[in-house]
Amino acid sequence: MKILIIGGGPGGYVSAIRAAQLGADVTLIEKKYIGGTCLNVGCIPTKVLLNTVDLYDTLMKDGSALGIDFEKLAVNWDTLQNRKNNIVSDLVGGVEKLLEADAVKVLRGTGKLTQKNKAEVTLLDGSVEEVTFDKAILATGSKVTIVPIPGIDTEGILTSDEILSLEELPESLCIVGGGVIGSEFASVFSRLGVDVTIVEMLPRIIATMEETLTQYLDYSLKDSGVKILTETKVTKFGKNGDHIDIHIDSAEGKSILNAEKVLLSIGRRPVVEGLGLEALNIDQKNGIAINEMMQTSAENIYAIGDCTGGVMLAHVASAQGIAAVENIMTINSKMDFKTIPYCVYTKPEIASVGMTEADAKEKNIDYKVGSFPLSGSGKAMILNEGEGLVKFIISSETEEILGMHMVGPKATELIVEGALALRLEATVDEIVTTIHAHPTMSESVQEAAHDVFKQAIHLMY
Amino acid sequence: MGQIIVMPKLGLTMTKGNLIKWFKKEGDVIKKGEKIFSVETDKLTNDIEAACSGILRKIIVESGTREILEPVAIIADKDEDISELLSKASVSEDTNKVVEKEEVKKEVKEEKKSSNNNKRVKASPKAKRLAKKEGIDIRLVDGSGPGGVINEEDVLEFIENMKKEAEKKVKTSPTADKIAENLGVDVNNISKEDRVMKDDVIEYWNFERVQEMASPKETTKDMSTMRKIIADRMHSSQQVTASVNYNLSVDTTEMQNLRKQLKPFYKITYTDILVKILSKVLLEYPELNATMSGQKIITRNYVNMGIAVAKEEGLLVPVVKYANVKGIKGISKEIKSLAKKAKINSLEPDEMQGATFTISNLGMYGMESFTPIINHPEVAILGVNTIKDVAHKIDGELKFKPMMNLSLTADHRVVDGSKAAEFLNRLKEYIENPSILVL
Repeated sequence: MKILIIGGGPGGYVSAIRAAQLGADVTLIEKKYIGGTCLNVGCIPTKVLLNTVDLYDTLMKDGSALGIDFEKLAVNWDTLQNRKNNIVSDLVGGVEKLLEADAVKVLRGTGKLTQKNKAEVTLLDGSVEEVTFDKAILATGSKVTIVPIPGIDTEGILTSDEILSLEELPESLCIVGGGVIGSEFASVFSRLGVDVTIVEMLPRIIATMEETLTQYLDYSLKDSGVKILTETKVTKFGKNGDHIDIHIDSAEGKSILNAEKVLLSIGRRPVVEGLGLEALNIDQKNGIAINEMMQTSAENIYAIGDCTGGVMLAHVASAQGIAAVENIMTINSKMDFKTIPYCVYTKPEIASVGMTEADAKEKNIDYKVGSFPLSGSGKAMILNEGEGLVKFIISSETEEILGMHMVGPKATELIVEGALALRLEATVDEIVTTIHAHPTMSESVQEAAHDVFKQAIHLMY
Repeated sequence: MGQIIVMPKLGLTMTKGNLIKWFKKEGDVIKKGEKIFSVETDKLTNDIEAACSGILRKIIVESGTREILEPVAIIADKDEDISELLSKASVSEDTNKVVEKEEVKKEVKEEKKSSNNNKRVKASPKAKRLAKKEGIDIRLVDGSGPGGVINEEDVLEFIENMKKEAEKKVKTSPTADKIAENLGVDVNNISKEDRVMKDDVIEYWNFERVQEMASPKETTKDMSTMRKIIADRMHSSQQVTASVNYNLSVDTTEMQNLRKQLKPFYKITYTDILVKILSKVLLEYPELNATMSGQKIITRNYVNMGIAVAKEEGLLVPVVKYANVKGIKGISKEIKSLAKKAKINSLEPDEMQGATFTISNLGMYGMESFTPIINHPEVAILGVNTIKDVAHKIDGELKFKPMMNLSLTADHRVVDGSKAAEFLNRLKEYIENPSILVL
């Protein structure tokens, strides 16, 4: 079995390794960097910044309360940038070694499907190589959406890729789009002393997640000095000296903001251009159309990850990649989308899996809620982060866990307990009767489950 | 690690499967995903793939029907000790035997009893007392004492095993359990190789509801003698003859006119006319009025026309003897009388013998075409269909004609295609111009 994979991000490289494990002859085409957006300009580098900012912010704000006195505390932006670059190159190198160990042939260039079983690769040196394959997996990812706002190409308007490698911190930053990416950058820059404004069209930031969770973030960002303008549209950008004027429009009328840099984070769109989809009549509309086997409308071509326009998360792309490869190698494999965890790495962290209360209402499901505020958690107090909560949505009929949501320290790590519960169709009882270690944040998960029956030990009813 | 291979569950309702073939023999190297054996259910035959790699160390079931999840083989490494797996497999084999015993029909049970009665059961008084109290047939208990004596512990173990068997639980997700409880589904009825999830319970419940609504019932009764004869003859005809079907559409305008014209004198049916025409044409085509006997072909200078008559209990074929020398009126009278006799079961055996060709009319049921089965040892049969108005383009205009389809089945061993086609065309000629009859 000869498998061609176009795109070396978390979808593509995971597919390549899984295919090699199953005995396929694998060729991987990557035009820029192995690891894709995730490893190079997404998940990993942003979290490196967030980690340092967290430490810095904690010490600045609460250092003396925590018993640490210091004389001079400062973030060395250059060192931080170097650390970020080193971590990225270590990880990319690691993936490259894994691919090499699995005998995956890696071609550096741009792939394009030409026939049912043929593709041509324009290598970085400009030469063209032809590759034949039995099956192909498209994993070309996504790129930042650029909307046609007048003045969008004004100097100083950055995408998430570019803002990661700023040589020095700006004095002010306007973030257009208050989704997950926008909020994470707001969390980084505001705590480094940058004057940050978020402009969001919807009524609240990260509108895809439960408001009970996002309100904690809203509060925390504002506490760090972030101005959040909701239900506000950007109508125009304009150059103003070495700053940018941002013309906005809201119910309160039109006005002009001014910032040194602007970050565009209004979303990402699938990369489908130049892939040769038209030649093979592969359907695409807001992404490459796939069935539950990850197959496109061309029977031997599969597509996974961001380029399919679905849930744009690295771990979804990887899971889809594994499913696609297993289907190719005759293991019947489907992906269970209900166990996808959604994580926001701000301070406080937000994580969510399964149904929200709004989902349950919309689907007319008779549900119950159990929640536990972190103010009652010893470990949260030790971490000096007692603000947050854990919340379960469960079916009234069967007590099946339908969703778990959390805001607070380690939320992104703890959410997997909810994902596992969903995967195993666990009921509240399984969470309640599983012993959770003390003192840990995970106790709060157990207590939230207890609260479904109003039986949490550390709550007064 | 060694693994017991079980009879797989291939469908929601499958409870047993018939192992029909092994692709591998003991000692063969098995690769994961390789076909190892074939299982037949009442619906389909499936080749089963190995779920793990290793050596096929032991085939427990060579062939035959087994309940699902019952061990059929053991796959393990080359030198691995499989004695534990073997005993595990045979234990469940024994318990299954017990289950089976309950299902086996009376005769077998009685047979067992008598043979068991002959064997003296050696058991301690305590064991006997306990067995009696618990209502257990002590003959089913294996003795572990010296010389196979059954002691109290053996009986207790037997009871324990019975209980375990009764409570045999499938693996379920907690939500599946709750839903099963709410819906009143016994999850043990759902057999699945991996965990039973909530969707499985709901699917099974839906299946049960459908089954409840349908309340399926099968009735078995002995075939009547008539049915047996029909079954035998139809089946043997299909096996012996090389039958080919031919269809031709004919215009019945003139045949209808003939019927109208004769009406004031005598009321005849289309079948009457067709029998008359057939009797003429068959003499022109003796191959279709023949019988094959060994390597010889018997032809005749007469036509005995078999007329298929439907009865509630089955089909009868009374015979109009020497139809070729009879007039339409005579034929008509005779068919009426034969049909009447057929309906009241008073046909003489002689009246159902000696046919040289058969006609079968399903036109009254609106049939447009069918493939009749030759009444062996005859070599051909004509199926008659309904008359339907069909538009024809005549001189640039659409005109409707009453068309009828003739469905001929002929035995190619005697009748070649061209001959059958010629015969049908000659029939058409007669049907479309019945006045030829007077020539």
